[in-house]
Amino acid sequence: MRPLIACALALSLFGSQNLSARPALRDYILTGAKPDHLFVIDAAARKVTSDIRVPDANGIVGLVVPSPDGKRAYVLVNRMESISGIDLDTGKQVFRANLSSGDEVVHSFFSVNITPDGRELIVHELPTKRGLNEYHVQEPRFAIFKTDAGLDAKPVRVFPAPRRVHLVLPKADGKSFYALGFQLFEYDLATGKKLGERGIRNWGRPGYSTPDMLAFWPVTEPLDVFVTPVYSTLGTGKDAIAKTSLMKLDLKSGALSYQDFEDTSAVIFSAVASPRNGEVFTVYTQLSKIDTNKGVLVDRVNLPHTFYTINIASDGHEVFVGGTMCDVAFYDPDTLKQRANLKLPGCPDQSISTLRVIRR
Amino acid sequence: MSLSSIDRLRRWRRAMLGCVMLLGAAGWLAAPAMADAPPAADQQTVRTWCAGCHTEDTPGQFQRLSAVRKSPEGWQMTIFRMQHVHNLALPDDARDAIVKFLSDTQGLAPSESAAGRFALERRPNMPDLKLGDDLPDMCGRCHSLARVSLQRRDADTWLRLVHMHVGQFPSLEYQASARDRYWWDIATKQLPAKLGAMFPFDTQAWRGWMNRPHADLGGEWLVHGHSPGKGDFVGTLSVKATGGDNYTAHYSLQSPEGKPIGEIDSLVRVYTGYEWRGSSKVGSVDTHEVLALSEDGRRLTGRWFEAAHTEVGGDVVAERAEGPAAVFMVSPRALKIGTTSEVLIAGRGLNGTVTFGNGTSVKVLKASPTLIRASVKVNDKAAPGPRAVTVGRTSAADMAAVYDKVDRLDVQPAYGIARVGGGHIDPVTAQFEAFGFIESQAGQAPVALGPMNVSWKVEPYNADAVKAQDVKFAGRIQPDGSFVPGPGGPNPERVFGTNNAGDLTVVAGLDQEGKELRGQAHLIVTVQRWNTPPIY
Repeated sequence: MRPLIACALALSLFGSQNLSARPALRDYILTGAKPDHLFVIDAAARKVTSDIRVPDANGIVGLVVPSPDGKRAYVLVNRMESISGIDLDTGKQVFRANLSSGDEVVHSFFSVNITPDGRELIVHELPTKRGLNEYHVQEPRFAIFKTDAGLDAKPVRVFPAPRRVHLVLPKADGKSFYALGFQLFEYDLATGKKLGERGIRNWGRPGYSTPDMLAFWPVTEPLDVFVTPVYSTLGTGKDAIAKTSLMKLDLKSGALSYQDFEDTSAVIFSAVASPRNGEVFTVYTQLSKIDTNKGVLVDRVNLPHTFYTINIASDGHEVFVGGTMCDVAFYDPDTLKQRANLKLPGCPDQSISTLRVIRR
Repeated sequence: MSLSSIDRLRRWRRAMLGCVMLLGAAGWLAAPAMADAPPAADQQTVRTWCAGCHTEDTPGQFQRLSAVRKSPEGWQMTIFRMQHVHNLALPDDARDAIVKFLSDTQGLAPSESAAGRFALERRPNMPDLKLGDDLPDMCGRCHSLARVSLQRRDADTWLRLVHMHVGQFPSLEYQASARDRYWWDIATKQLPAKLGAMFPFDTQAWRGWMNRPHADLGGEWLVHGHSPGKGDFVGTLSVKATGGDNYTAHYSLQSPEGKPIGEIDSLVRVYTGYEWRGSSKVGSVDTHEVLALSEDGRRLTGRWFEAAHTEVGGDVVAERAEGPAAVFMVSPRALKIGTTSEVLIAGRGLNGTVTFGNGTSVKVLKASPTLIRASVKVNDKAAPGPRAVTVGRTSAADMAAVYDKVDRLDVQPAYGIARVGGGHIDPVTAQFEAFGFIESQAGQAPVALGPMNVSWKVEPYNADAVKAQDVKFAGRIQPDGSFVPGPGGPNPERVFGTNNAGDLTVVAGLDQEGKELRGQAHLIVTVQRWNTPPIY
C-alpha cells in the first residue's frame, strides 16, 4: 500500500505526467514561508504543486538548498538551529540535523550548502555554551553531515572556521568549498584545510572604500555562478561616489571578479546570472537588468512591492521574484514586464526564504 | 527538541526553591495593589527565585547578579528576560519584591542616573548621550547609550554581557555597523575595559548613597508642569506613606486659567530612596509618573506619560509645600507690549505686592499663598526683554518676558520621529511645539518667550517625498502640533506598495500683523518598533 501512496503523492507534487516517461524536464520553483511551509511551484503552469509542512520548523523556513538531483530540499528551520531534509516526492522529512545539543546552542547564519554529488552538507556553525548563569561564545566551525544520515544526523567531520560567515558555496569539482564572510575563503572539503583567501574586505580596488556585502541567498543555478551586489564608495570627501558593483564567483573555475555597473541609485538585495547574453537580473523594490559584457544597467522597472529574492528559468527565458510577502511573480527578461503573479495558498509570509529552481 | 541538562537542572532547582509557579506577565514597575500588603523586599526572595541558577557563593553574593547595578527599569527588564528567554516562572509579587530589593541594594546613585534619566522618563525624540566614537556603533545601534549608562559593572562582567548578547542574538555580528569591522574582537578585547572604566560597579557615589536612610515623602507638595501640546498645569500633591517605601498620592491639578484638569490618585513605590514610580488613571487612560527626588529630599522632578503612548506626557515638578517663599512658574510667560494679559503665578508663601518690572502695571485678581491670578498690562513704551517677577519680598529672575515682535520660532523637537501602527503595536505620535524668541541684540542672549500659539502644517521634506506623496499618505498634523501617523502595513496605493512612511517638514506659522513667521522641524514617519522595552 505504501508504495502506491508514495506514487500518488509524486504525481500530485510534480504534475500529471509520469516522471520517468516525461521527455522534457520542467522548472520547479522552491520557496519557504512562515511558519513551516515549503512550496513547490510548477513554473510554466504558474501553479503550486505541493505545500509541504516541515516538521518542527518553529516559525520560519529560511534557507532552501535543493539536492543536485532535485529530489530533496534541505531547509534551515527552528530559528537557525536545525536543518530538515525533505523528500520532494513524498513530502516527508528524510534528514534532520539539530545543530544544538546538550548545553551547546548552535546556530547557522544561512551558511548551509550541499556538495555537488549530493552526499554531504557543509554547515558553518556558531556555537555557544550555556552555563548555569552565563553564555560562553565558542569559536565558529564547519561541520560536515552525510545526507543519508537520517533523522538524527551528526557531523562526520568538524574543523575550525572564521567568524561572520554568511554563505557557503561548494566548488563544482566537489573537492573544496567557499565561505563568504570578511573574505572569500576556500577550504578543502575532506580536510578542512584553508586553501586560500581572496578579497572581499580587502578587495584591492584602488580608490574604493571597504565594500559592504551581506548575501544569504545561495542561488547559483543555472550556471554554477554566484552573483551578488556589493556597495562601496569611490573617492573620498565631497567627491565620493556611492557605487554598486556585482561580485561574481564562478564555482566551476573559481574565478572571482567585481564589476561596476552604476553609481548607486537603487537598493538591491539579490541577483542571478542568466544563461543568456551575459545578463544579470537583480531585485528589491525594482527589477533591474545588467549587461555584464558592457558593465551597464540596461533596464529597471518598479515592482508592485518589495521582493527579496530572484531566480531565473533554466533557459533564461523567464525571471522569477519572490520572498518578502506571499506571492511569486514571473517577468519577461526582455521587456521586464510581468507575465504572471502567483499568490501562495493562504498567503503565508515568505520573509527571507530563498527562491530556488530545480529541474525535474 | 529535548531539554538540555542545564535546562533540566535549572528547572529542577527552581521547582525545589520556588513554591508557587505562576507565569508572571511583564508589566510596568508595579505599585502594589491597594488591597494587598506590599510585597516584602528582602534577600530571601532573591534567594528563592534566583539562586537556582545564580548560585550563592557566599551569603548574599549571587553569581552574576551580585556584580551588576541598575535602575529599577533595568532590573525589571532583566527579570523579563529571565522569564521569556530562560523560562523563569515567578509570581508578580515576587518579581516586584526582587526589583525593589535589587534597586535598593544594587541601584544607581542620583548622580549616576542623571545623564540617562531622559530614557527612564521615556522622553521622545531625545538626542542620545555622546559617549565617544565606538560606543554609538558597538552598542548604540540597537540600544540608546542612555541604557548603557544606566548600568554598572566591572570589566569582567561587561565581557560576560558581550557573550550573552552574541549567544542570544547571533545575527548581531552580521548587521550593518557590525559587519564592517572585526566586531567580536573589539567587543571582547577593547570594550569591556572601556565600559568597566566608564561605568564601574564600585563607586564613591553609590557607597555614599546606598547607606543613606530613605527620606519620607509623605506630606503636602505643590505641583507645576507643562505638557507639550496641552499647556501648563499647577496643583497640589498629597502623599501618604503606606509602608515599605510605598505611598498613595493624590494630585489635584488645574490649568493656568483655573480649569480643573483632574483629581488623580496614584499608587507609588519609591526605589533606591529617590526613584518615584507612580501608576494612576486619568479618566480612562492609564498613566505613569517617573520622578526623581532631589538629594535634599525637597523636590521631585520628572515626567508623567500615558502607559500605552509613552510619547504623550509632560514635565512635572513638585516642591514641598512647607518651605521658604518662592515663585515656581508664571503662565503664560510671554507678555506682548501694548496688551493686557491674565497670568497665573504659582509659588510658595506668596504674599505682597506683585510686580513685573518697568513699563508694566499689575492688578491682582485673586491671591492665595500658592497661586496668584493677576492682570498684567504692558504699556507701549515697555522695553522688550526678560522680566523678574516679584511677590512681596520674593523675586524670581527670568520668569516672564516682554516682547513686541517674535523674531524666531524654534520648533521642537528639531528632528522628530513618528511611527505607523500595525499588528499589536499602536501608532506612535510626534508632538511638536513652537518656541518664540527675540533675537539677541547688543551682546545680549536671545530672549525666550516660551511656547507660542501657532498654526501647523506639514510639507514634503525633499524631492523624494514629493514624488512619493508623503504628505498625502504619512499622516496628519493636529491643531495642537501633534502628528498622527497613517495606518501601518503595505499600502497598495503607494509606489512599491510601501507602507505609510514619510519624510516631512513640520511647519509652524505665527501670524504677526499679516506677516507670517515660520519655524520648521524635520519629521520622519517610519515603521513600528516591535519590541517596546521600558528603556530603549
